[in-house]
Amino acid sequence: MKNMMEDLWKWCDERLDLSAMVAFAKHKTVPEHKHSFWYFWGGISLFLFMVQMITGILLLIYYRPGPDAFDSVRQITYDVNFGWLIRSVHAWAANLMIAAIVVHMFSVFFMKAYRSPREFGWWSGALLLMIASVFGFSGYLLPMNELSYFATKVGLDIPTGMPIIGPILSDIVRAGPEVTEFTLERFFALHVVVLPLIFLPILMIHLWLVAKHGNAVPPSEELKPAAERKSIPFFPNFMMKDLGVWLITLNILILFAAVFPWDLGVQADALKAAPKGIHPEWYFMVPFQLLKAFGNWFPGSLGEGMGIGIFTGGIILWLLVPLYDPNSRSGLRARNATYFGLLALAAVVGLTIWGYLAL
Amino acid sequence: MNYPLWDVPFIGGGWVIGMTAIFHVLISQFAVGGGFYIAMAEQKALREGRKDWMDIVKKQSRFFLVLTAVFGTVSGVGIWFAIGLANPEATSTLIHNFVFGWAIEWVIFLVELATVLVYYYTWGRIADKLHLTVGWLYAIVSFFTLFIINGILSFKLTPGAAWLSVAGTGHEASMFWPAFFNPGYWPSLFIRMGICCTLAGAWSLVTCSRIGNDQLKLKTDMIGWTMKWLLPLFCTLPFLALWYWHQVPEAHRILASLGVNTVAPGIFTMVTRMIIVLLVSSVTLISVVYFFALRSPADFKLPQAVVIMFLALVVVGSMEYTREMLRKPFIVAEHMYSNGVRVKDIEKINKDGYLTHTLWIRDGSKTSVARGEAMYRGQCMACHTVDGYRPTRTLLAGRDRAAITNFLKVLRDHKPDSPYFRFMPPLVGTDEEVQALGDYLDTLTPKPAQP
Repeated sequence: MKNMMEDLWKWCDERLDLSAMVAFAKHKTVPEHKHSFWYFWGGISLFLFMVQMITGILLLIYYRPGPDAFDSVRQITYDVNFGWLIRSVHAWAANLMIAAIVVHMFSVFFMKAYRSPREFGWWSGALLLMIASVFGFSGYLLPMNELSYFATKVGLDIPTGMPIIGPILSDIVRAGPEVTEFTLERFFALHVVVLPLIFLPILMIHLWLVAKHGNAVPPSEELKPAAERKSIPFFPNFMMKDLGVWLITLNILILFAAVFPWDLGVQADALKAAPKGIHPEWYFMVPFQLLKAFGNWFPGSLGEGMGIGIFTGGIILWLLVPLYDPNSRSGLRARNATYFGLLALAAVVGLTIWGYLAL
Repeated sequence: MNYPLWDVPFIGGGWVIGMTAIFHVLISQFAVGGGFYIAMAEQKALREGRKDWMDIVKKQSRFFLVLTAVFGTVSGVGIWFAIGLANPEATSTLIHNFVFGWAIEWVIFLVELATVLVYYYTWGRIADKLHLTVGWLYAIVSFFTLFIINGILSFKLTPGAAWLSVAGTGHEASMFWPAFFNPGYWPSLFIRMGICCTLAGAWSLVTCSRIGNDQLKLKTDMIGWTMKWLLPLFCTLPFLALWYWHQVPEAHRILASLGVNTVAPGIFTMVTRMIIVLLVSSVTLISVVYFFALRSPADFKLPQAVVIMFLALVVVGSMEYTREMLRKPFIVAEHMYSNGVRVKDIEKINKDGYLTHTLWIRDGSKTSVARGEAMYRGQCMACHTVDGYRPTRTLLAGRDRAAITNFLKVLRDHKPDSPYFRFMPPLVGTDEEVQALGDYLDTLTPKPAQP
């Protein structure tokens, strides 16, 4: 048996050069220090994305976009064996994935892992978060229930405030002036074909960059002499831990999905009034509340423009951080970048809480 | 309705029992498994002359003493208070049936506490062999606490035909042994023994995580040895669970399949959902111990050990919750419903009334709403609260008085095709009492604003 396995390994190795891959993985190390916990969040995000792909494919078997959309989700939830579980896992994993990416992003920011030569890792990661939120936005409409319908309607009204391109953009995405089953069809195509096609190559690049440059260490570790820095081999030590963390993530996911199964809601009815306190998913609360607040303070397009302007400006500043804090270890720029990160974190948490309180 | 009802706002009495019991089970089952763990660890250290290992066992025994003798004892008494107040009828039935079982259990508790104290305070003061004998004595005595309480716990789901044939005749105690060694007794005992070993392993990993890397060999050896304590349950659970399942009455087994093709919030599909959690968390627990502790003992620290304890809590919690939910709508299967109403009394209560002999009508008022509230407290509040857990106000929202009457009729008819049949006891009482309950429930539902 052992000989057979060895022969099989040899056969594959000759053709695929597996030994080189194993040697590479064994050669790779992961820094070990008091902030190492944050290294797991990229892996958690990746794991949840894989869960999304698998459960998404399973949902595709029964989901029918178009006028039957709600009924097909009803069928998945109430008729198909363990359909409710797959849907509940898909919905919870979507939220947990975005939460994990946000945690990953802030940990990368505060560990200053965006600095040279990891700028493209930072930008590709930010792009993945943006695409993930579009995944969330498009997927939210697919059950075509009352909440998703009206939340999408509100969400697609926001870009209309932008001069010239706003209304055109909204009309293209909506497939007309109203959210209808045609909007749903477009969102479906976006969700299951277009976005994965964009997301997957960027994800590959992101992972390749991580493999190429390795894990960055925070400035506090950099200050230590090389002899005092610790690291563990990626394979098998870090990978074993990573697998353990993935399993814990799966466990938490199943706990949420089984104990709090995702609600089906009631079928969307365009003729009905929007339910009170309609709001987007939590990860859109920051722009939502920003626009709402500025809209209240400065009624009309001025407020809306200011809200959009501040949000867009903040995102641009956030994305450009590797350029204005390129490789300094403790200087003024590095400190300013940290203050900016703290401000951004406070703004995200504060605006989200404020948004929910103001509903 | 012989007893007043203990009203715990928001969470309800059931959760007071639940929270105390889960906390207690985590400790008491650890006490049983831990007794064997400590004795076997000491024996191994003595045999191999491992002083370093012995020092850790000493530390473990201190942790063990505090956890079991303080928190285990207090939470055990807490369960008595909670069940006596939240479900007095069922507690009374169990006491009347198992009074000698409990008496023996308390004697054993006393010996258990005495031995654990002697064990801890005689480290280095008596001969090693004698000290080890005390350890083994503790382990065996603590096993007997499980041996006895398991008879009473498993009885509630599987009381067995022999006991049920005399239930309510006043001769229940004549069937003490068949009730004690009921159909679910042995599989339940073996499963609990497995849980005891698992918890001993999980708690001990917390101690292992505290060993510094300057003693890496000791840490690696202890983690490797401790890991083995998780294996018995993991390897045997599928077979033991099937054996246990076979003993569960068919009517209760169905509850596990209700959540396969559909889902509903609340309890209607909860058994299926809890079994899913149990399966996933069991696999996760053993894998995480392998990945975190066994594969990289040097990096195994307190946070990882805490995660393992959390997973053990999820495994034990979901297992106990599944067992409790499987008994629905009874508290003693086929004999007493979860609100304390006995199956054989239903006809009599429907004729003579539920409130006929009760002293517990608020303010002594005889208004319909007051009588209805007494009905609600007696028959609904064992599982529901007004605004908190399983909230009546929310569950009835949108129902007018006529809809409430129809709903109460469904509960009273208790037909097998009713969606509530498998989870809720039948509503009992005279027509006037059911009317009164409807009047009271009507006061809980919001009314449309007057023009």
